[in-house]
Amino acid sequence: MSYKIYKINEELKDFMPKEIIDLEEKATWGNPKRGVMDLPYTKELIEEHSLCAGCPESMALRYIIASLPNPEDTIIVNSTGCTSLVFPHIALHTVHSLFGNQNAVASGIKRVLEWRFPDKVKDVVVLAGDGATVDIGLDCTLQSFFRQEKITTICFDNEVYANTGGQESGLTVKGHVFKMAPKGKQWDKVPMWQLAIDSGCHYVARLTVSSPKRVEQVIKKAIYVAREVGPTYVHLYTPCILEIGLNSDDGLDEMRARDKERFAFFEYMTPQAEEVINRIKEEGLL
Amino acid sequence: MQATETILYNRAGQRVVSPDYLLFEAPRTKHFMTGSEAVKEAVKRASVDASVSYPITPQSEAAHLIGELWVEGYVGVYFRGESEFGVMSEIAGCAMAGARCITTTSGPGTLRAMENFPMWAGTRIPVQLVLMARGINSPLSIQPDNLEVSFLLDTGCMIWYAETAQDLFDMILAGFVVAEQPDVHVPLITVVDGFFVSHTREAVMLPPDDIALPPYNPYRAPMPVIDAEVPPGRFLRDPFVMKSNYISYATHASWQWEVRAAIERSRPYAKHYLRGLVEHFGDPEADLVFVACGTASAQAKEAVRLLEDEGIPARVVKLKTIRPFPIEELREAVKGAKYIFVPEFNVVGWLEREVRRYLYGHSNAEIIGAPRVAGGMTMPAEVIVKEVLKLTGKEVKHVI
Amino acid sequence: MAHIGPSGFSPYPVAVYEGVLTPPPGKALMFNEIVDEEIAMREAAKAMLTRQNPTIFPGPQVLYAWNEEAKEKAKLVRKMAEVLGAKIIPMYDYRPKYPKINPAIEINPNHPNLTIWHNKIKACIFVGVHCHYANVALKIIRAETDCFTIAMCSMAGHEDAMITLRDQHVEEMEKFIKIAEEVKKELGK
Ligand SMILES: Cc1ncc(C[n+]2csc(CCOP(=O)(O)OP(=O)(O)O)c2C)c(N)n1
Ligand code: SF4
Ligand SMILES: [Mg+2]
Repeated sequence: MSYKIYKINEELKDFMPKEIIDLEEKATWGNPKRGVMDLPYTKELIEEHSLCAGCPESMALRYIIASLPNPEDTIIVNSTGCTSLVFPHIALHTVHSLFGNQNAVASGIKRVLEWRFPDKVKDVVVLAGDGATVDIGLDCTLQSFFRQEKITTICFDNEVYANTGGQESGLTVKGHVFKMAPKGKQWDKVPMWQLAIDSGCHYVARLTVSSPKRVEQVIKKAIYVAREVGPTYVHLYTPCILEIGLNSDDGLDEMRARDKERFAFFEYMTPQAEEVINRIKEEGLL
Repeated sequence: MQATETILYNRAGQRVVSPDYLLFEAPRTKHFMTGSEAVKEAVKRASVDASVSYPITPQSEAAHLIGELWVEGYVGVYFRGESEFGVMSEIAGCAMAGARCITTTSGPGTLRAMENFPMWAGTRIPVQLVLMARGINSPLSIQPDNLEVSFLLDTGCMIWYAETAQDLFDMILAGFVVAEQPDVHVPLITVVDGFFVSHTREAVMLPPDDIALPPYNPYRAPMPVIDAEVPPGRFLRDPFVMKSNYISYATHASWQWEVRAAIERSRPYAKHYLRGLVEHFGDPEADLVFVACGTASAQAKEAVRLLEDEGIPARVVKLKTIRPFPIEELREAVKGAKYIFVPEFNVVGWLEREVRRYLYGHSNAEIIGAPRVAGGMTMPAEVIVKEVLKLTGKEVKHVI
Repeated sequence: MAHIGPSGFSPYPVAVYEGVLTPPPGKALMFNEIVDEEIAMREAAKAMLTRQNPTIFPGPQVLYAWNEEAKEKAKLVRKMAEVLGAKIIPMYDYRPKYPKINPAIEINPNHPNLTIWHNKIKACIFVGVHCHYANVALKIIRAETDCFTIAMCSMAGHEDAMITLRDQHVEEMEKFIKIAEEVKKELGK
């Protein structure tokens, strides 16, 4: 593992701010059993960020980062959008490249890391908005599935282009009025989880982030399966409270309401994925 | 960071030699091959880690041949991407993860990939793109035409232009060495004219194939490589940088300057490994000068021979690099010139614009953007001669 | 580096556009002159010993114990600060930091001028900063402050610093410390 890149040289420790010393001393490194339950007790790998107060994307990010089984050797590839405002504050090696090319960049990174470090596990995780994953980046997303890239793709579905001020996306529900759909969206929400299954993903889950523990389970499964078998896809509902007119403390209720309908928990796995999941369960890693 | 350790063999089992040895000292033997095959021979000796491909004429064959090298174990990672946009992003990922990378494209592929090139430069990856220039739509044409280069001039990538398969072979090897210098470390676009070079067989002098360039050391890069092995652990490559993101406008401005500065810093390295940024041909005293690159310079050399027969002294200044532009070299070379012809394979005359820009106030010569052919036309030397004669008013029989 | 002042329409000057490039191996750059490393080291030491609030800005490559050289260099940075009577303010990462940096204790490449203004730093040394970020920061510092910048680079150097030392590894840093001790004595400090 690469924990050494967080270890501060003794001679210079006196000059380092507390947040950086805490990263070395109080974060969970080298422990695949880490998870959301550590959040109150350990140093988080996300510092302060600039999303809207109460934005469910920020919750999702915290749960995901807390659940990575191998953070010291995990690369996250991001895309343009609200999430990219959090990325500078994540204490991992991350990439923001262009809007929509995240799965292509991640494919290159994963393949080269496998070539450069044949004896090390380096997880590559993609994390991007619905516009990035399903609209502008759909080609790169699906093609990485077709090619069986060993990466985990996580879509933050807020059903809107949030960062550019609330335009209709392919994941907006039919009839909803957003900018650029002034008469309401004319066509159905894209069932991306189904496209992921049809395109060769070995583990697919759809859920809201109302339950941190459930997010943890899903993320761990997705990462272990990607590591050993092939592409995995996680579709998270992270409502844009700003664009649908909710208050900062309404996000959780909104997600709970959707838990019962269009974001009811759904999970799919291939037999190979199931084998991996059963094994890691036995090993106590889930 | 680490003092360089000596590596004796690369992962393909080839003996590692210094770039100077490979380029200038190793014994060479003569081979007869196309430009595409010359790409393969260069890549074979370049300790390349990764290549991503996509079909488009006329570069496809070069990309196929790199694939063969992958099968033979000379290239670490190779696959076909979904589109040129995807390919250029995939190769960016490969480079950010610490690989020496090469890819190829042409015409419409270049334009499809466009958003990636300034991103490559901004993220300081020394990817080498071999561009086999062809026409761009519309209307569609697969024929040689280098208009696409004009779109690339300000991407922050270095641009070199090879005249022959030999040039291409040497430039690809030199290209990795120059582009990977820590104070340069920006992408390199190595251009050749499609078909004229990619598909034409010519004699190429090659060093043995059991020696190769030293492998790329990603820890000398000016930016942390994305492999979780180098600090800082908290690193986003490349962040939003706007004032609303609690930084200053200065960041983007300074960053952009830095990319351009990096290209400037390549000059001394390129001068060494290319043996000068320009090449001279013909009568050094002649006041009639052709300034050209690629196939146009080959044709201009032919024209100089024909003009010599007519008793008109002329010479060629071939530009090997377009970015950085050989400003001083060109100014020096055209001292005393009366007429400067810029023959080109495109309708807009982007090289003429460049030449005018850098000679403004530095030369009294008349600059003539001719001849200009495009869309797959050839540029017979006689056509060049005719342009010259039009100007001098001299009548010559054998000219068409 | 050459002159302070704007380059083209941008307020951020770039030495290369004034014809100043990184020094060749074995040499150093002092303003726009290529000089012997030792001369540049003496001048660098003098600047640090005579200007107000001299500060060393160590970057990630020396702050973290990621390899043996980094561990050695960290010791030398500490020693250098003692000899030069300099403060140490770390550039521990390159992120745009939210909500803002604390200029008293940290420096960030996206607005390095804030730290220099806040601490009234008139001479500084960059060491262990990745070249791209050092270059971005040095251009901003050159445009926005009157700080005397010294780059101690393990690669090819930084022409936008007023003094740039290249290929600086453990041995070279030890040499610099020795020279700094001499200069200090000469100055009667
Ligand atoms: C090529 C390109 N087109 C458009 C944009 C503008 N853009 C930036 S962020 C964004 C919206 C992102 O939406 P989404 O991926 O759903 O993420 P969210 O902000 O909703 O989290 C858009 C359209 C861009 N940066 N690049
Ligand atoms: S605009 Fe919406 S998605 Fe973006 S941070 Fe605010 S609430 Fe979250
Ligand atoms: Mg969205």
